[in-house]
Formats: sequence, structure tokens, C-alpha cells
Amino acid sequence: MSATGLLARRNLTRNRVRLAVSLGGVALALSLVLALDAIFAGVSNQLTAYIDRAGADVWVSQAGVRNLHMVSSFISASVTDEVRAVDGVAEATPILEATDTVAAGDERAVAYVVGLPSGASMGGPWNVVAGSSRAGRGEIVVDRGFARSAGVSIGDTVTVLGGEARIVGLSEGTASLVNSVAFVSFDDFQAMRGGAAVVSFVLAKVAQGRSPNAVATEIERQVSGVTAQSTADFAAQERRLTMDMSADVISIMNAIGFVVGLAVVALTVYVATLAGRREYGVLKALGARNRMLYRVVLVQAFLSVAGGFLAGLAFTGLLAFVVPLTGLNLELSITVASLAKVALVAALIAGLAAILPIRQVSGVDPAIVFRRGALP
Amino acid sequence: MLIARRNLFRDRTRFLLSVLGVAVSIGLILLLAGYRSGVYRQASAYLDHAPGSVLVAERGIRDFLGTSSTLPAGAEDAVQRTPGVARVIPIVSQFVIFELHGRKDGFFLIGYDRAKGGGPWELAEGREPATDDELVIDRTAARQHAIAIGDQIRLLDREATIVGFSDGTTFWAGSIAFARITTLESLLRTPGLQGFLIVTPTGGTSPETLRDRLSIPGSEALLKSDVIANDRKLMARVYDAPIGLMVAIAFVVGVLVVGLVIYTATVERRREYGALKAIGARNRTLYRIVTMQAFIAAVAGSVFGVGLAYGAATGLMAWRPQFRVEIEPAAVGVVLVASVVMALLAALIPARAVARLEPAEVFRG
Repeated sequence: MSATGLLARRNLTRNRVRLAVSLGGVALALSLVLALDAIFAGVSNQLTAYIDRAGADVWVSQAGVRNLHMVSSFISASVTDEVRAVDGVAEATPILEATDTVAAGDERAVAYVVGLPSGASMGGPWNVVAGSSRAGRGEIVVDRGFARSAGVSIGDTVTVLGGEARIVGLSEGTASLVNSVAFVSFDDFQAMRGGAAVVSFVLAKVAQGRSPNAVATEIERQVSGVTAQSTADFAAQERRLTMDMSADVISIMNAIGFVVGLAVVALTVYVATLAGRREYGVLKALGARNRMLYRVVLVQAFLSVAGGFLAGLAFTGLLAFVVPLTGLNLELSITVASLAKVALVAALIAGLAAILPIRQVSGVDPAIVFRRGALP
Repeated sequence: MLIARRNLFRDRTRFLLSVLGVAVSIGLILLLAGYRSGVYRQASAYLDHAPGSVLVAERGIRDFLGTSSTLPAGAEDAVQRTPGVARVIPIVSQFVIFELHGRKDGFFLIGYDRAKGGGPWELAEGREPATDDELVIDRTAARQHAIAIGDQIRLLDREATIVGFSDGTTFWAGSIAFARITTLESLLRTPGLQGFLIVTPTGGTSPETLRDRLSIPGSEALLKSDVIANDRKLMARVYDAPIGLMVAIAFVVGVLVVGLVIYTATVERRREYGALKAIGARNRTLYRIVTMQAFIAAVAGSVFGVGLAYGAATGLMAWRPQFRVEIEPAAVGVVLVASVVMALLAALIPARAVARLEPAEVFRG
């Protein structure tokens, strides 16, 4: 470590109070910011969980349908074979999908109900924690959170799509802020909806080395009456709509937490630097240049931010581990983008907050540092 | 106590920074808690303002917001004939999606009969709908979509003209809009459709009595307050996990920051307290001074923080008018008590260390 770095560190750790303020304050503030960010990211991830995890590379829907939420898509069942025949498509699975209410006793919850053909390689639950992942005739796989709050389990009956279905499996990660996903058999779904030869979506996997976007364009060119989008595009459309309608509420809270958290970072670093004014004055009297003073306070500010950041990260990690255990339908997601954003902005703010009080010291003549009133 | 005050105010910068630290934390907690209350409060705006205290709905229906309820024919007359009924307002509530500038948005559309009531309670501009292709929409929603009076928007299968703007009908999940009940009848292809009846009891009849008396086949009478609670609960079930957790985190972090700020301020004056001890001050005096100082800083910070929260709430509502922040007095009370208790604890911990010292040791490094 350089001499300045050593000085900065020693000066910071020698005074335990100042260390407590700068580290503690920054840690608390960054815990707030990181945790809120993780909640927000978790909520937005959940919104597109089904699309992201269904296993498809391309989603084919009724022409003009660009997302899942609050829409219905119906295309002729023959489209599946037409999609399969398109060059670049390795596999195609039709699904039926509708937004419906799943009811058990007094508990009613909105769900994307998905009808899956037997042996479907895509579109099914990806994390079944109990029972079977395949729903046969008269059977259903529901989200574990829904089962828990409704007080039902495997073997119990729920009402869905105007009929009854017995729970055969519980899946995890299939619930979002707005709804959960439930899986029934394709034949049941078709029968409950009048038996017409239609499907809602065709999920396609592309051949190795082929780009989902290019294959989607090819599908649209060869199959009439459909919209084909890569999973990434389809998820982006879904996220945009659901964010607009529901997650905005949470993004505002996140923004408030971010601003206040940074204010606390600035305040604590400012207070800690201000408390050390006299020592910096001494440094100056000993012949330290202004550049050196700035470097010392900046290094101290960054050390505080680094320490506080690690503490905040630990807190958020702990929260992300504990929250799902409490049975809350909530997932916290710590993203690299969020960490980078918080670290960068916090370091910037802390740097500014540290420089502000030191500017007064740097303007003082070394000889008069010890005179009363020389320092503000 | 003069010493406490003088010592506190002597270093004004330090005092102001402590106050600011407390204020920012308190402001954060109150703002987020108020935001949470506002989110749920908005859900009941219509029923809160509609006259009457009993709701008649289709059997099995427990909530109002965007719920399609269909009453059996003749329900209104049956309610009207029930003793103890002063006024009956028939309405239809329906969630509709419309598209404008390629962006989808939702309305909680209320169909009402102008002669009977149940329309907008605060008409900010224009007039109420007089024909079946006219609508009153929320003023904030109109501003967001750049809709002016006289403009047309597409409503399911037809065009409707905007003839008025209402206030107080903003809701982040889709604002409230008003049309004639006959507009909804034809939109939903159900002549004579009535979704809900909002009933006002005569003086001397309690809402509970009237609820129990109203037994119309195929329908159900509910207290308006119960329906409001159900609507809020429905909203809370969806949003309370993330929002509640955020408020809880803000509360814990905010209170801890208050503690940290006061702790630091007290520790920084350790030397001064030591000097007091050295000149013969008793520990009791010392504690009183420390407590007094922490109390002053915490209260000053809290008051400033409450102001900050109200200011920020006003700013937020101006920036995003579809959100409402309702800072509740109870929340203010809880936050103030928690922060003062935390401040006192945080001040007494370092004070104990000073109190334990021998006066002579105070000045030793």
C-alpha cells in the first residue's frame, strides 16, 4: 500500500468513532439501497419467469399478440407442423394458455393456466419440488406458494377453467407479483374450452448455431397469421407491459430508497471528514501538499464505501436467503448491474462529500492552522 | 440544563448535521410508509366518496374494484320497497382496456344514472356524460395521454367522446372513468344491466340492520366498509410482500441511522463530558445532560424529518400524479417514538463509559 493509502487507513482506523460513523452509516445506507434494488429486480424477474424458463427459443403466437399478460392468443392447431417444417427449427411444442382463476376453498388466485401435450419437451414446470411434473387428464401442477396459502396439497382438488382438477405436483419459481402459473393437460384444456382444434402458442427450439431472431423472421415469412418473436423479445414486451401496469409502484419506492440512501452516504462521509479537519490541518502544517490531503480523504471515503458496500451486500444476501424461507411470494435478485450502479454512484457521492470539508483546510495557510478560528 | 443546550448549540455545524441525519431517516420511513398507505387508499376512492353505506351485489361477490357483478332483474325495485331504505344508486363497474399511442391502459369504468347519483364527485372541467358515446375520465390520466375535452378514444368496439375531467379519481392501477349506465349496458350487450346497488338507510336505521333486512334472491347485501376492506385486502395480497418488506427495511435502517447519528454526536463530546466530571459533576447530572442533548437533537430532527416527508410527498405526487402518498398520524407517532427511544439508547451507551471513568482518567489519552 502506498504511503498515502497507509496514512489514510491508519488515520481512519485509529479513531474508532469516526470509523463507526463512516463505515456504519455507509453500510446501513447501502444495505437499504441494495436490498430495495434486489426486491425490485426480483419482482421484475418473476414477471417474465415463465417466458424465460419455458425452454423455448422462439414464441409463435396469433398475429399481433406480443406478450402473455391480459391477452389471448389462438392459432390453428396445424400451425405446429408448419412451424416444425421451417428451416432452422429443431423442435416445436404447442401449448394452450389462458389467464384464469384457480380456486381452492376461499382462496382464489389468478394464474396463467397452461395446457401441455403429454411428453412436451418445453413449456412445463422447471422446478417441481413435490410430486409429478406432468399433469394427466383431471390433474394439475400448481405453484407451491398458492398451495400453501390455500391450504391444499398433493391429492387435493382445485377449481380451474370451469372444472375440477386434482393436484399432482407443486412447482417453485412459478409465481409473480401478479399471478402464478398452473399446468394442466392439453386435452383437458381443449375439452374445457369447447374442443376446437386451436393452440395458443407454439414454442420452438432452434437448431444448433441458428439465431432465434433469424428463425423467428423465417417463421413469420413462411407461416401466415402468426407473430414469431425470440424469447428475449417476447420477455421484453411482457416486462414492458406488466411493469407499466404494476411494477411501477415498486420502482418508485426503489427510487426513493436510492436517493435517501445516497444522501445518508454523503452525510456520514461528510461528518467523518469534518471531524478529522484538525488532523488534516496538522498534516498540512507538517508540509503536506493539498494534493496529498485530497488523496488521503478520498482514499478514506473509498475505504468506507468499500467496507459499507460489503456489509450491505452481506445483508442483502442474507435477506435474499431468508425471505423465501418465510413463505412470502417474493424473490430477491442481486444483479451485477445493480451492484455496479450502486458502487459507482456511492463512490462518486462519497468522494464529493469528502472533498467538500477538506477544501476549507486546503485553503488555509499552514502556519495558522493551530490558531483558533483558522478552521471553520 | 443550560449546559446541555449551550454545549449542544456551540458547535452549530455538528448539531445541524445530527439533525439532518435524523431528519433524512425519519423522512424516508414516513414517505415510504405513507406511500404504502396511499397505494391501498386509492383502491377505495370511489366507494369512499359514494353516498350510502350498504352495497347490494350479485351473490358470492365480495369486492368492488373492477368486479363484474350482475344483479337479477327487479333487484332495484325490491330494494326500493324494503323499509328503512332512503336512497338507491344503481351502478355498473367494469374494467376496460383502451389503447392510445400504442400504449395500453386500463380504466375502472363506472356506469351511473345521472338522476340517481353515483357519478364523479369532483368534476374539474367540462360536464357529465349526456349521451351513450360520452365519457368523463380522470384529469391526471388525460394529461398523461394528452387528451383534451372533445377528443375521441376507442372504447372496445366504439369511439367515445371525452366531455369532462374528474379529480380524485387517479389510481396507479388504472384510473376511474364515468359513463352513463346505458353505455355499459350496450357495451356489455346486457340490456337492463345493474351491477351494484349502493343503498343509503333512512335515519334511525343502522347499516347493519338494513344489510340483514335486504334479502333479495340471487344477490347479497354487504356493508360498504366491508367491501372497502376487501378491496384493500385484495390489493394488499398482491403488493404487500414487496412493498411491506421495503417499508420494513426502511424502518429498520432509518431507526439505526438515527441511533448512529446520535451515538456519534455523543461520543464526539466525550471529552467535554469528561471535563464536566473532572470539575465535580455527578453521574446523574451527566446522564441528564446527555439525555437532554439526545432528546433535543432527536426531536428537532424528527420535526424537520416530518416536514421533509410531507415536502417529498408533495413533490412525488406532482411528479407522478397517479400515485398518492397518505402520511398517517399513527405512522408519524410510531416513527417519532421509535426514533426518540433509539436516540436515547444510543446516547446512554457512550455516556455510561464516561460515567464509569475516574475523573482523573478522563484526560489521559
